[in-house]
Amino acid sequence: MEHFIILIPLFPLIAASCIGVLHLFGVLDGEKSERTTARIANYAVGLSCLICFLLLGHDYFYQNTAVLTLGHWVRIHDLEIKLNVFAHGFSLKLATLFALLLCIVMRFSVNYLHREAGFHRFFFVLSLFAFAMFTLVLSANVVGTFVGWEIAGLCSYLLIGYLYHRHYATYNATRVFITNRLGDAAFIAGLVLCYLWLGNIDWLDIPVFLHQLSAQKLNLMALCFVIAAMVKSAQLPFTPWLARAIEGPTPSSAIFYGAIMIHSGVYLLFLIRPLLELTPLIAGFVAMMGLLTAGYAYFVGLTQTDIKTSLIFATSAQLGLLFLECGLGFWQLATWHLFAHISVRGYQLLMAPSLLQTISGTSIQKVPVFLAENQRFYTYATQRFWLESMMDWLLIKPILNLASDLHFVDKQIIDPLMGSPAPTIHAISSLAQAQEQTIGAHLDNTEDTFAQGSGLAGKLTQWTATLLHWFEYHFILQGVSENVFRYGRHLGHIANQTELALLKPRYLFTFIFITLLVAL
Amino acid sequence: MNVSFLPMLSILIGLPLVGALLIALVAHVKWAKMIALTTAVLELLVAVTLVFTFDTSHADFQFIEQYAWIPTFHATFFLGIDGISVLFLPMTALLVLVTIIASWHSVQSLTRLHYALLLVLESATIGVFSALDMLLFFLFWEATLPPLFFLIGLWGVGAKRSHAALKYTLFMLCGGVPLLFAIILLAVNHAHQMGELLTQGLSFSFPVLLNTPMPDHLQTVILCLLILGFAVKTPLVPFHTWLPTVAMESPTQLSALLTGLKLGAFGLLRFALPLAPNVAGHYAWLLALFGAVTLIYGALIALQQTNLRQLLAYLSISHVGFVTMGIASLTLQGLQGAIFQLLNFTLIASSLMLMAGFIQQRLGSTELVHLGGIAKVMPTCTVFFYLCSVASIGMPLTSGFPAELLLIIGTFKYQFGLGVVGLFGSILGVAALFMFIQKTFLGEARHLPIHQLVDLRFHEVWALCLSSLLILIFGLWPQYVFDITQGSLALWLNRFLNLPLTLSFIS
Repeated sequence: MEHFIILIPLFPLIAASCIGVLHLFGVLDGEKSERTTARIANYAVGLSCLICFLLLGHDYFYQNTAVLTLGHWVRIHDLEIKLNVFAHGFSLKLATLFALLLCIVMRFSVNYLHREAGFHRFFFVLSLFAFAMFTLVLSANVVGTFVGWEIAGLCSYLLIGYLYHRHYATYNATRVFITNRLGDAAFIAGLVLCYLWLGNIDWLDIPVFLHQLSAQKLNLMALCFVIAAMVKSAQLPFTPWLARAIEGPTPSSAIFYGAIMIHSGVYLLFLIRPLLELTPLIAGFVAMMGLLTAGYAYFVGLTQTDIKTSLIFATSAQLGLLFLECGLGFWQLATWHLFAHISVRGYQLLMAPSLLQTISGTSIQKVPVFLAENQRFYTYATQRFWLESMMDWLLIKPILNLASDLHFVDKQIIDPLMGSPAPTIHAISSLAQAQEQTIGAHLDNTEDTFAQGSGLAGKLTQWTATLLHWFEYHFILQGVSENVFRYGRHLGHIANQTELALLKPRYLFTFIFITLLVAL
Repeated sequence: MNVSFLPMLSILIGLPLVGALLIALVAHVKWAKMIALTTAVLELLVAVTLVFTFDTSHADFQFIEQYAWIPTFHATFFLGIDGISVLFLPMTALLVLVTIIASWHSVQSLTRLHYALLLVLESATIGVFSALDMLLFFLFWEATLPPLFFLIGLWGVGAKRSHAALKYTLFMLCGGVPLLFAIILLAVNHAHQMGELLTQGLSFSFPVLLNTPMPDHLQTVILCLLILGFAVKTPLVPFHTWLPTVAMESPTQLSALLTGLKLGAFGLLRFALPLAPNVAGHYAWLLALFGAVTLIYGALIALQQTNLRQLLAYLSISHVGFVTMGIASLTLQGLQGAIFQLLNFTLIASSLMLMAGFIQQRLGSTELVHLGGIAKVMPTCTVFFYLCSVASIGMPLTSGFPAELLLIIGTFKYQFGLGVVGLFGSILGVAALFMFIQKTFLGEARHLPIHQLVDLRFHEVWALCLSSLLILIFGLWPQYVFDITQGSLALWLNRFLNLPLTLSFIS
């Protein structure tokens, strides 16, 4: 009975591959085959949901085994990545709730997306997403959770950019995807630290070995996972991505950012609960960031004027509270809050368009008085506290500047330095030159034709010759008098410029960063 | 060491040469193409048979063939493969097959010569992977140059193609010099250690040289020479400048071959570190640093690119930097990841480059300003491009994931800071690739020619399907690859790390 649990993620994966392959080769295309696609996707998720309920019942009456190991995915020396799943308790309950919501949203989308150009694509991504979330929630080892984590992120990217001909949709999708990669990197760092320091990557076995580690190592490991959770659940300072993410069709917004994916950060906190309990510092950090996010999202949410954005900031605020509860150790409260919030918010976002229909004409609730009166604070809130611009300025701009500098260095310095013969197309750029060549004259060629090299060695020789020639010409032939001073001053000026450039913050930070890395 | 009854490796090397000769004999272009295709398919079949008959429980060289070649130097025609190299043979064969299919209609002039040269190149490449005699290896190594020179120079798509061909050849010749020095030094050292006369004691046999004692200072010299030589081909910064030029100028199927086959990284793994076992541990950090700089540098410059092919070239430079870090980590996981990633390149990087070529062929440009909104008119191409892109950034379910995971584990195990650099570099790579995809494939189609684009043709889809299928299969069941490479890699590591690596999986 318990072994059926593997089918829960498998059905949506099979559905996704069927829809994907058939749509790619044009078998499922257009309005006629909408029914087939919808059936495949709905049956798959429905079956998963059914199995979830069966297992839940089985668990209630007979108690399932906690972790079911089905085999190995990778085994290299002491690195063992198992295929194991939780068949019991919190994870199974959460999976059941997710399955139920996925069923509802999937059915809802059949009508909502009728005659849309991307109908099949939408159901492909949604099925893949179902697979990802089941894997994330049910997997009993860190790698499995990470697999779900990453694919969910990819699905989110694909659905934000659902209307791919619109610039803003695709821009937001790309931005959200890259922001999420930061969290993924933190997750993978946590995963690797687990393996290196504990020698184990099964969630249930991790607590057993934790006591062997020093406080410093525990903190670092917890921090990695916490950052991953903060990015995925849009806590400060990563909150802005969430507002960009609701570009996709409404059902996908509801299921991704109202109900399911956005809560995977909180689920990760539940998974690392033993770790958090050993690291009060990090737990305090989680609580603090949660509180800050709740406050931030509350104030920003008050000033929003469209339904989806205000709902999404409300989600953010609630997630902040969930983080606060987890950080303070109120796990029981957090569990209830989590389940309640998933259901309510999912419903609200799904109903957002029809809600607009019903309340159209009635005046909306005004901004609270204290906010309306304090104009400066009101401006801050409408501008979302310039959080995104701040991150841009702090993170993205220096990197892009560094990239453009390096690009310049690559093109102007390294490429010529490595030596390459003069391109043939440049050799003869005009008819006049061709004629010059045929008669063997070089009329306006200023370069010393005796020393023209190619390749590294050739160029080096050529440069040495030119340099010596330059020295000889300017210093010795033209007399030592004024030129020495002029060129000396010129050289000094260049040296000054170089030093100034090196003192720019981006280089300074790069050097500090490199030093830190080496010190580590 | 077991000797197989059929000279499989010689067949693999000889088969494409026979095909090239046959092409020279037939006059009709269509027949020439068919011969090329048949040869490539046969080659792939033989290579796959080789993998299936390969004995994974033996860590040592298999399919040994040794014939007298130059008796005065004691150089022999000595071939053999082990777990490290065996998988490169079918992948090379597959890559050549894919490029032949992809360029089925795109080579209009001197078609027969083109396919003949491609087959000669395949033969030389297989030779590089399977040669066990250092002199023979060097011969194959340099033998890849003439076909490449002509392929780039004659069928290049850029205006500066002959310049690119010359640049590539000069770079590789310069890289060959330190290699040759190292090989001669190794052979001379062998004669010294055996206490024989120079002419009598020379040996170029790789398994023999592995066990020849060598003073540490000489090992340092040889390590540096070999790293230098292979770094040019890998390519590692600052010797990378040939790759973007070649990617821009050469025919795209050839760019795909060059970005797909990382002979340099293979050389580092196969020859550079094992031949200097005592000092490799001390100087591995140098190689790791080389790799880290390449990774970050390539990714940062990729952020600035405005041309699809150049972007792919820089991203491939960045990825190979990560592979180098994995090799230098000297951990089993890092090495497994490195080999897996090198095999991945033949699928992922080459497919991406091929698709860039399809776009180039249709539009005459892969420049950013000429693109935008391709997804609408070329949906099939976009799907394959996405699949390969997510595979190249290490998305689970694709073959990129196990490779990248193992590389990260390996580098973290070696040094914490290096692992952080690896993660940072991979984020930069993602940013570069996906920002570019957003600007080229997605968005509104601004230019008229974009609206008239034709989606992928039948043969093009076929070429991509082959690679894509393998990407997914390797992503789901990577253990198959690891089982093949494990034994040889453990032996490889034991050579200069006196770590008690258990070889229990062998029994």
